Amino acid sequence: MPPRLKMPNRTTRTHIAFLALPVALFVTFYIYPIISSIHLSLHSWDGFSPSMRWVGLQNYVTLLGQPRFFNAVINNVTWVVFMLIVPTGTGLLLAALLDRGIRGESVFRILFFLPFTIPAVAVAAIWRWMYEPSNGLLTTVLELVGLGGLAQNWLGDPAIVNFSLMGAVAWWTTGFAFLVFFAGLRNIPTECIEAARIEGATPWQTFWKVSFPLLWPSTIIVLGMSAIDAMRLFDVVWATTQGGPAYSSEVLAVQMYDLAFGRFAMGRASAVAVYLLLLSAVIIMPYIYYMSKRVTESEAE
Amino acid sequence: MKRTRLLGALFAGAITATSAYAQDTYEIWHYYAAGSELAGMEALIANGNEAVDEANFKGVIIPGNVVELRRQLQTAFLGGQPPAAYQSSMAFELKAFVDGGRLHPLTEVWSEINGDEIFPDGVQRVVKIDGVPYGVPYDLSLINNVFYNVEIFEELGLEAPTDWESFLATCSALSDAGYQPLGNAGGPFWSLYNFYAPLVSVLGVDGYYQLASGEIGFDSPEFAEALDLYRDTMVSCYADNWSGKTWTQTADDVVNGDTGMFMMGIWVAAYFEQADFLAGENFDVFQAPGTVGKSIFQMDALAVPAGSEAAIEAAGKFIAAAASPEGQAAFAVPKGSLAPNVNVDPSVYGYAGSRFAEQFSEAAANDAVLPNLFFLLPTSVGTELGVQIERFAIDPSDAVKAELMSTLETLRQEALAENAFIAW
Repeated sequence: MPPRLKMPNRTTRTHIAFLALPVALFVTFYIYPIISSIHLSLHSWDGFSPSMRWVGLQNYVTLLGQPRFFNAVINNVTWVVFMLIVPTGTGLLLAALLDRGIRGESVFRILFFLPFTIPAVAVAAIWRWMYEPSNGLLTTVLELVGLGGLAQNWLGDPAIVNFSLMGAVAWWTTGFAFLVFFAGLRNIPTECIEAARIEGATPWQTFWKVSFPLLWPSTIIVLGMSAIDAMRLFDVVWATTQGGPAYSSEVLAVQMYDLAFGRFAMGRASAVAVYLLLLSAVIIMPYIYYMSKRVTESEAE
Repeated sequence: MKRTRLLGALFAGAITATSAYAQDTYEIWHYYAAGSELAGMEALIANGNEAVDEANFKGVIIPGNVVELRRQLQTAFLGGQPPAAYQSSMAFELKAFVDGGRLHPLTEVWSEINGDEIFPDGVQRVVKIDGVPYGVPYDLSLINNVFYNVEIFEELGLEAPTDWESFLATCSALSDAGYQPLGNAGGPFWSLYNFYAPLVSVLGVDGYYQLASGEIGFDSPEFAEALDLYRDTMVSCYADNWSGKTWTQTADDVVNGDTGMFMMGIWVAAYFEQADFLAGENFDVFQAPGTVGKSIFQMDALAVPAGSEAAIEAAGKFIAAAASPEGQAAFAVPKGSLAPNVNVDPSVYGYAGSRFAEQFSEAAANDAVLPNLFFLLPTSVGTELGVQIERFAIDPSDAVKAELMSTLETLRQEALAENAFIAW
């Protein structure tokens, strides 16, 4: 006699009911697209023909033989390093300065955060104008202060363009890091700061030995988000340079878009997407694992 | 009971209204988002609405360029809800969608508008795939003209150059006087369009088509010679920092009197006019050396997706109206482009438009109407050609030239192996 299936109790049924929707959404919008991309990457398809041609791993092999692909990988990794250091560091610095209770704090708070509220395409339009190499704001200001020799062909020189884009992105995203760090600083118990002062710590020591370690949860959020933003970077680069000149500012997401819709190579574009997923996993997953462990340990302490 | 009936009537009314809207309003997709381009498309759609009583046409802007439009179309095709008609480039742009079974052949409309008579041969060949028309042209822009600042030329006593020698002499004179000789802009199109003049100088009309059909290699001595001519003439004349500018920023440099010449599509004439920089007074134009008596053009056509018969029928009527002399003029005049229909009265154009119309007629008579090579080549080859030529224009070294030729030749061989080239 087969064993009777036990009906889940009411609590379990409630849990299942609550979990059903998020699981369905996760499977539909995360798991299925990944599986579909892997499936596409093994085919040659222009994006609208009724049938696809099976090519196996050819798309992956072809990409590995292209300097263009490796250039995009290097650009992505450079962006990760940049995003982890510059907007994060600048945001922390601004938050620390403002936390000292300077006059006009609320105005500065708005000013620092405001760029982050601007859509990427508008950021690109603003900085295309700022970076106009002859009459743009940046070149004009440099010339006005006698530093015209430092003016560059900001978006047209393959050796300069990535730094120019990073400048624009730093201006755009620092506000996020600033806001998170500022909120974190305001949440630090004043007793800790007071105790350090009474013990004779300098402001510098108070910040590095007391405030910064207590900012750990904010740091986890900012660094994690920055690394993810760097890996999925697309909109500002596409809207400003479309990856040019001559692929010099191309990142993997831009290459994927160009292959899919600029060249009707949907299969190869999907292979780029899979490589991007793997690269993100290699770079970001260890960080997320490490940070999660630290948070658990902190909570335990 | 009364309340239920009332709600039922309202619901039925709403359904009917929605379905009537769906039946009668047809979308025309395009990426003309602003300025003279949008004015032209709005006039074309107004012309269609006036000419066709039984349907209503609505323009839908897909922001961006041809790439964004393709993305939107691919999604629409997969979802089974394409527009009634859309703005399409020519040649391989049409062929890609035809091969995918996504386009409706326009044989009936073509016959109705007498397409074989009203469009020049060079125009017809890039909207027909295997002899079947899949696009009806409405927007044609020449891309082999050099615009110049009249005041600067008069100040220096310069004449419009007629060959490469006089072109280089003009560049030197402008440079010596402290002006930037020749403007250009960053991106994969503008340097490529400039390169066509040296290319046609070396290959001629037949050679241009042979390159397009894959018969001439990118590693051939002729192609190398064209690159050398481009490097020694146009690249040597380019303004400082050109690669960091958009085409409108460079056009502003011409208006502001910083730059003497600018080789760009004729749409720049409309941009100049909008800035009160007037044709014949403030700017004038000459055909780039090597292309005198010839016309190299970029063109847009209306294409109709396969699918709903009602939408196809309505689109056919819209296209018939758009192909008429009135429809063609309605678009071309505000846009600042040329009407592909030869029956459009040249008097509709202003000073610049008349010059372009004359050039186009002369080229048609010479059988030297050349479509944009970018779209004559298989998509992967044409797109890479644009990127590589821009790279060469930024760094015209022998090493980059060798890499360019090798990269493009590899792609040509791949395309030949796949039988992807077409003799347009």
